[in-house]
Amino acid sequence: MKQFFFRAPSFLLLLMLTAAFGFGCKSKRSDGPKKMAVIVSTLNNPWFVFLAENAAAKAKELGYEAKIFDSQNNTALETDHFENALASGYSAVLFNPTDADGSVVNVLKAKEAGVPVFCMDREVNSDAATSQILSDSYSGCVAMGKYFVQQLNKKGNYVELLGLVGDNNTWQRSKGFHSLVDYYPELKMVAQQSADFDRNKGMEVLESILQAHPNIDAVFCGNDAMAMGAYQALVSAGKPNVKVFGFDGAEDAITGIGEGKIAATAMQFPKVMAETAAVYADEYLKGKREFPKKMPVAVELVTKENIKDYIAYGKKD
Amino acid sequence: MKKTLKYILGLAALVFVAYNSVYFKKLDAVRASAHKQFDASAYARKYYDTRLKPALKNAVEINQLLALARVDKEAAFNRHSHALGIGNIRYFLVQGTGEITGINENDVAVISKNDSTQSALKIATEFVFGNAIRDASGLINLNEFSSTADFNNVSAEVNKIVRNEVLPAFKSTAKKGDRVHFVGAIELNRQHLKLDDLEIIPVALNLIKDK
Repeated sequence: MKQFFFRAPSFLLLLMLTAAFGFGCKSKRSDGPKKMAVIVSTLNNPWFVFLAENAAAKAKELGYEAKIFDSQNNTALETDHFENALASGYSAVLFNPTDADGSVVNVLKAKEAGVPVFCMDREVNSDAATSQILSDSYSGCVAMGKYFVQQLNKKGNYVELLGLVGDNNTWQRSKGFHSLVDYYPELKMVAQQSADFDRNKGMEVLESILQAHPNIDAVFCGNDAMAMGAYQALVSAGKPNVKVFGFDGAEDAITGIGEGKIAATAMQFPKVMAETAAVYADEYLKGKREFPKKMPVAVELVTKENIKDYIAYGKKD
Repeated sequence: MKKTLKYILGLAALVFVAYNSVYFKKLDAVRASAHKQFDASAYARKYYDTRLKPALKNAVEINQLLALARVDKEAAFNRHSHALGIGNIRYFLVQGTGEITGINENDVAVISKNDSTQSALKIATEFVFGNAIRDASGLINLNEFSSTADFNNVSAEVNKIVRNEVLPAFKSTAKKGDRVHFVGAIELNRQHLKLDDLEIIPVALNLIKDK
């Protein structure tokens, strides 16, 4: 009995704190307009800035508050952003994951909290996301591979710069490319290395590869940032005629194709992906529950032959 | 004595629970079993034989499609194209008959005519890759697959069937002046439609003996 009296105030205090915390959370969710969090892998690449800004802009257009969180390619920071977003009462997450496996835990956490997650451009290896709107990187790189083979007349030495090894896009692009190029035995890949989708790393990695393999005819890069870095390395090494192939449809690459610096890129449509994710999230919050688990967005090959049809991150109307 | 027995029984229970809580497997075996989950080659073979081949008779006649696309692009795309997602790239399952006008390194040039129109086409004999054949029929749904990689492997395997079973016989016997009945897939861009220089990724090719 003595024990009961001793513990009762603590119990009551705990009960009050729990109730206050619970009501506090509830009030955050119900006050003011609903909010969408845009959690993006990095804002250190203009392509992802464009993706995030378009997602936030579409969310605002649909009547939501929107805030962009930069994960800086760091899954731990991404986890912090998810925790903050869930604690701050965001109703949905428009998500560009950092790592296909490493980001799953964050999506699961949101799902448990009843907050839908819509992946943009990058995939998580889980069906916990409400829907994943993804570029068809594989098909884009099959088309790229065909153009690559034609440009090199089916023979030559080349280097492949891979993106982040934990990102599915890295491997979808590489697999699409090799699904065609590997049928040509006279096309020899002399080096394959990751440069993390980063322009500076792309330059440094290719500079290092060129020390060991100075005679190359082409460089295939998993994105345009690495392609621009690779081009810089080639110019510094006095090899500006080596053909460089990118992926994304970023502004530098589109200009580069026009100027003959870049041979080709694969145009993704970040605005389409970002806006589709925001529209899906809006539909979810209005009660819709049936969404395609994966929604591929077609990727288009851009070369000097059709450059007039394209602008950075999209098509001319 | 009773206490000792209690400890022994408690320890035995603990060992039993601990032993059954942890399993050791070779990483190679786990990886191998993960790969075994989906057999893209078997799926592609079944798809090609039991779903795609019967659907070939429904392919639209190429000249009819191109005539419609010239006057009403939207109708042509809405009636005859398939694609798995969002975007301008869409695929059509087409068929036709034509005369071979040239045998090139990467393709065979064909002039195909119907009652009202004729088209200059290329039948791909080298670059039979990508998702055109898989997607043109509209018979496969991406959401049936747990992994995008598995889905893409189906394309690679279907293309392999065409490269190994359809192209060798055609390439070894086709010559300029022959007539060929073809069924295959074409890719068109809805926003920037270009109807010249069309390339057909073949699914079935039959040379017509009696001209």
